[in-house]
Amino acid sequence: MSSPRSRVTTLARHEYRAAVRSRALVSLIAILAIVTFVSIYIAAIAYRSALADYEVYVAAAQAGGVQIIAPSPLRLLSLLRGAIEYIEIVGAIIAITLGYLTVSRERANRTLPLLRSRPVTSGELATGSALGALGIISTLVLVTGIVALLCLGLIGNSWATPYEVFKVGLVGIASVLYMFVFYSLGALITARTRVAANGLLIALGIWLLVALILPQIGDTLDADNQIPGGLFSALAVDKAQETEILTHFGTYEFVRTGIEELSFAKHYERFAFAMSDVQDKYQGFTLAQLAREKWHDIVWMFVYAVALGYGLWRGFRRQPALPQGEKS
Amino acid sequence: MEEPAVEMQGVSHRYGSAPVLREIDLTIEHGEIFRFLGHNGAGKTTAINILTTLLVPSAGNARVCGHDVIADRSKVTERIGYLPSDVRLYDHMTASENLEFFAKLSGVSDPRRAAAETLDYLDSSELGPRRMSTFSTGMRQRIGIAQAIVHQPSVLFLDEPTSGLDPSGVRQLRETIFRLNRELGMTVFMNTHLLSEVARVCTTIGVLNHGELIYKDSMAATNERFPNEASLEDIYERMEGHPS
Amino acid sequence: MTRAIAAQLVLSLRRQRTFLALLVTLLVMTALAGVIGWISHRTIIKVYDQAVTLLATTGTPAPPNPFDTKPTLALLSNMVIYIPLIGALMALVLGHLSMADDQSSGIGRLIFSRQVTRRSYVTGKMLGALTVLTVIMAASLLVSVASLLIVNGTVLSASDFGRLVLFYVISLLYLTAFALIGMVTVLLTRRRSMGLLLALGVWLVLTFAIPQFTSGLRPTASLNPITDPVSTSQTFFDVTAKARPLSVSEQYKEASTRVLEIGSPESALATSWRVLPIGCLVLVMAALTALLVSRHDYSRSSVNE
Repeated sequence: MSSPRSRVTTLARHEYRAAVRSRALVSLIAILAIVTFVSIYIAAIAYRSALADYEVYVAAAQAGGVQIIAPSPLRLLSLLRGAIEYIEIVGAIIAITLGYLTVSRERANRTLPLLRSRPVTSGELATGSALGALGIISTLVLVTGIVALLCLGLIGNSWATPYEVFKVGLVGIASVLYMFVFYSLGALITARTRVAANGLLIALGIWLLVALILPQIGDTLDADNQIPGGLFSALAVDKAQETEILTHFGTYEFVRTGIEELSFAKHYERFAFAMSDVQDKYQGFTLAQLAREKWHDIVWMFVYAVALGYGLWRGFRRQPALPQGEKS
Repeated sequence: MEEPAVEMQGVSHRYGSAPVLREIDLTIEHGEIFRFLGHNGAGKTTAINILTTLLVPSAGNARVCGHDVIADRSKVTERIGYLPSDVRLYDHMTASENLEFFAKLSGVSDPRRAAAETLDYLDSSELGPRRMSTFSTGMRQRIGIAQAIVHQPSVLFLDEPTSGLDPSGVRQLRETIFRLNRELGMTVFMNTHLLSEVARVCTTIGVLNHGELIYKDSMAATNERFPNEASLEDIYERMEGHPS
Repeated sequence: MTRAIAAQLVLSLRRQRTFLALLVTLLVMTALAGVIGWISHRTIIKVYDQAVTLLATTGTPAPPNPFDTKPTLALLSNMVIYIPLIGALMALVLGHLSMADDQSSGIGRLIFSRQVTRRSYVTGKMLGALTVLTVIMAASLLVSVASLLIVNGTVLSASDFGRLVLFYVISLLYLTAFALIGMVTVLLTRRRSMGLLLALGVWLVLTFAIPQFTSGLRPTASLNPITDPVSTSQTFFDVTAKARPLSVSEQYKEASTRVLEIGSPESALATSWRVLPIGCLVLVMAALTALLVSRHDYSRSSVNE
């Protein structure tokens, strides 16, 4: 008799293989790969020329006997910003599609009764499917990460240090969690709707709200974003005065941040941007400092992942083996 | 002289390289109830698809009521009614709305009245205001037939009309076909697996085997030819085993 | 015949509550754009007041009120983002639903076993979808006018109203293109969900990937109606920037911001040129839909999912 572990492994492999064979999914992955590569390529080319300028400056300064040479203002990992944003948008769609396919495939093929008529528990079925999806997501993120690091070295002429590689690894883990949440959402909603395509639509609607609309609202409400070029520079106020003025907008900023906090995508983005030096203020931070700064984004990501993962597990367990809605 | 209801001359069809129909010659006169027999994949549905203008045959000519299915498509479609095997109709619309829609497409001058009269004719008036999504398979099938006859066609094509029906549904269908033929003079052309139940109303049968028409004759002649076979199933099995 | 097909489509969409869902979403979105515009309006005035007080203490003269430089219709600037994001996705779904039912339920066979020609069928479908989109856009226009009236406290001038109407006409054209893409993708795929995913892929490419290629816009940069120009001095863009006039989502945004007077000014002719590729996309997609319908094999029924 087969062991639970071997059954879960079999189911996970089945999930992985089916996903890889889905043309729709492969096409979406190809779109992600191309846009990510282009975004890194564009950034790396710009970086390379900035790096060359800096090296010319360093050589000239050393030749001139200058003792204190300004450190490089370049932030290598910030080149990954485009890649992170694409995972936020296209990656989430891929994950939703993956979740949708997990459920709809069995339904359309009417294979769920066959699976359930074998010695497989519903828990094993849920675990196997989720593990298979995690396998796909991890492969995707891993390949993206490796290609990104290679691009930085080969095109940007700058190889990441082990510490930077480690930080990219953390961004990778966050990306897997992020996509897993959307996978769970896609599968859970599809399992709960009678017409699978409606599940896909609802999940996409939620994605649109969470990944695009809420952050967009938060962003456009930012006081400084009200006028092209920035409101504060239009008013000719300096940074200290800006901070002073913003103290009068406590409630406003609270609501604005609150809207952004609702968005799971924003937590992922904040964490990933901090780890990849996209924001100036985190440059040179140690890991402990970064963790302290970003702990609540980390907590939110885990809360979402655990909540949706559990929801999915329950949803799968309760999924009826026989097709519903057929009237006799 | 009136043209035959259905006429196929050397009709062949292939999907890719796979032949599905091979040089079918078939004539069905008005007023007949014709039944196609054949195993799965024998080409029965393909033949109906060609006669209902949905599929252009790879070779040969097909005519319905004297009109070519390709050249005179609109004249053909005016004269036929069609019920495919797995059709669902618009779930979110009521039965009447579905019928009115299809009546309009067939150019019926008063679609609402036609829909009501058809439902009445089929003793299904109570289904009219209900949405299709609430129907059982039998009810769906009745509305399916209603949409096929709402414009009073001359030839009715039914593709596996008994699939999914329970015995009483099959009996009801048999009676409906009989009435449509006798009272409204419709020629009926159907494919069905369920042999004995509907067999009683057929006037002619044809047997398709791997895309070839191996037999076609009236029921009376068939019974005479196979006097020792108890049922149509037995006759069919004999013919499949020993095509004449 | 064409009318019957169009009327059936509108009825279907109404019954499936798709029509209602689209309408409500688009109206909420319009109202949201108004609310955000209103908040932005208040913020600018408040920040300005604070800045004037603060600058007075340092003896600096007060700068001109930046709000005065904001045009009346800037209140609706978020619509320029919501139409290509939410509106276009919904138009895809609309186009998808208008074709998918006939395919997946096998009704196409019933329709074409009647005297319906492929041409009248496809014309009916397009007219039905266009009717729904027009009604939705008209309703959104009303909400826009109302929010402008409430926030600004004055009735729109004739020229501003004209600009607003023009913005909605351009938006309708843009959404029509996506509705047609929704139809085309159904006709290109055997399974219903694959059609939807293919449409989604096209939307992603048009909305995010192409602007990245032609203008170096990162995806989130495309989400802000007011974007800082990206440096595109690289050789890479020497080639790709030539295709920028064909990037419909960028051209839509550029044309809309000009029409609403929130972008940097340009001649009316230049703005009209921006609408041209959108119009061309509509024509190409309409022709493709007609071609695919004329060749589609409706004798085969598809799997439901």
